[in-house]
Amino acid sequence: MSTDINLLLRTNEESLKRKKRIKILNFAAIASLICIGLVSLIIFILIQTANPTAIKKEQEDVLGKISQFQDRQSKLFILNNRIENINKILKTRKDLSKTMNELLAKMPSNLSINNFEINNASIIIAGQSKSLYTIAEFINNLTDMVYRKEIIKSLTLNSLVLDAGSKTYQVSVKSDL
Amino acid sequence: MNEKINIELRSFRFILEKNKSYIFPIIVIVASVLLFFQFVIPQFNLLLKTQAEVKDLRSKTEMLKENLSIVSIIDDDTLNSQYKTMISALPLSKDFIGILNSINATAQKAGVSLGSFSFKIGNLSSSENGDIFPVVKFTIPVNAGITGSNSFIQMISKTFPLAQVDSILVNNNSSIISLGFYYKLLNIASVSQYIRVSPVSQNGLELIGQMKEFEAASSFPISSVPIVNASASATQ
Repeated sequence: MSTDINLLLRTNEESLKRKKRIKILNFAAIASLICIGLVSLIIFILIQTANPTAIKKEQEDVLGKISQFQDRQSKLFILNNRIENINKILKTRKDLSKTMNELLAKMPSNLSINNFEINNASIIIAGQSKSLYTIAEFINNLTDMVYRKEIIKSLTLNSLVLDAGSKTYQVSVKSDL
Repeated sequence: MNEKINIELRSFRFILEKNKSYIFPIIVIVASVLLFFQFVIPQFNLLLKTQAEVKDLRSKTEMLKENLSIVSIIDDDTLNSQYKTMISALPLSKDFIGILNSINATAQKAGVSLGSFSFKIGNLSSSENGDIFPVVKFTIPVNAGITGSNSFIQMISKTFPLAQVDSILVNNNSSIISLGFYYKLLNIASVSQYIRVSPVSQNGLELIGQMKEFEAASSFPISSVPIVNASASATQ
């Protein structure tokens, strides 16, 4: 039978471990309680300092002052709105008169225009002249415009006829804008 | 049976007695965790909400202060004049008087005479608020050749209300011009005290200057407008 077993020492070790565990647990309990208390207190103070009442009052004061200029404010808003929209319109609207002017500038003086039709997509010109050279000059001018990508993108000769009665050449062309 | 219960009770008491020192701190920790979820987190959310509200209020107040400083120094006469010009250029609704005035003034200045024309009024109660610009469409016969028509469209593009010529059909000495006069509705509900206003920019002032020139070109006393054979038809 073994006689050198120290039961007392083992009991003390376990007791010490137990006391240590209890100590840690107590510390954790107190620390968590303090932490919760502190965090709650800080949040409470922050809520109190961020109180919007003062700003609300300030806003009401400014609103009271600005209400005297309500009419001006509305007009200024509408004015800026109109400026913005008119700018958009001026940038996007097609200027047919400019297109017309540039095309008319390319017409030979001897060519008289019988029919002229222009819209946002295409243009149809019908004219007549006693000289075939004038007709050729007219077609050449328009062809140059297509090559130089000036206003018109394409050119189609719809008809070229000689009116024997009046001895005039009649031409009709169509272009895409 | 009773003996078995007594033994279990005794065992439980023994365990309780043995671990008594652990129970109190564990209860405190559990209570802390519960407090954290039940009290601290909602309070923290409330703090965030309050801070967001304060931030919003502060930015609105700053905006209102800026608006106040802008509108308080504006000259009423200048503003009214600019407002009138720009509203005439792009009306808030279908401005038929302005349109008829513009057509007649342009015809007179271009030296052309007008035939009978008609236009569609459309739905007067409609509220178009899209990005595109609604127009009142007109088809006007003009007793003029290509030069007169060209002069007419050149002038009408520089009068009020702003117009866009859609097509021109010239046949010898008569022409038919299709055009649309712009207008743009404004959602009045969007005009509140809390909207940000800004002073008219330099580009805006230049545009107003340009529109003033258009206004001068389109001035035509309504009392001297010749009666044109215009017929209006309402749709819907």
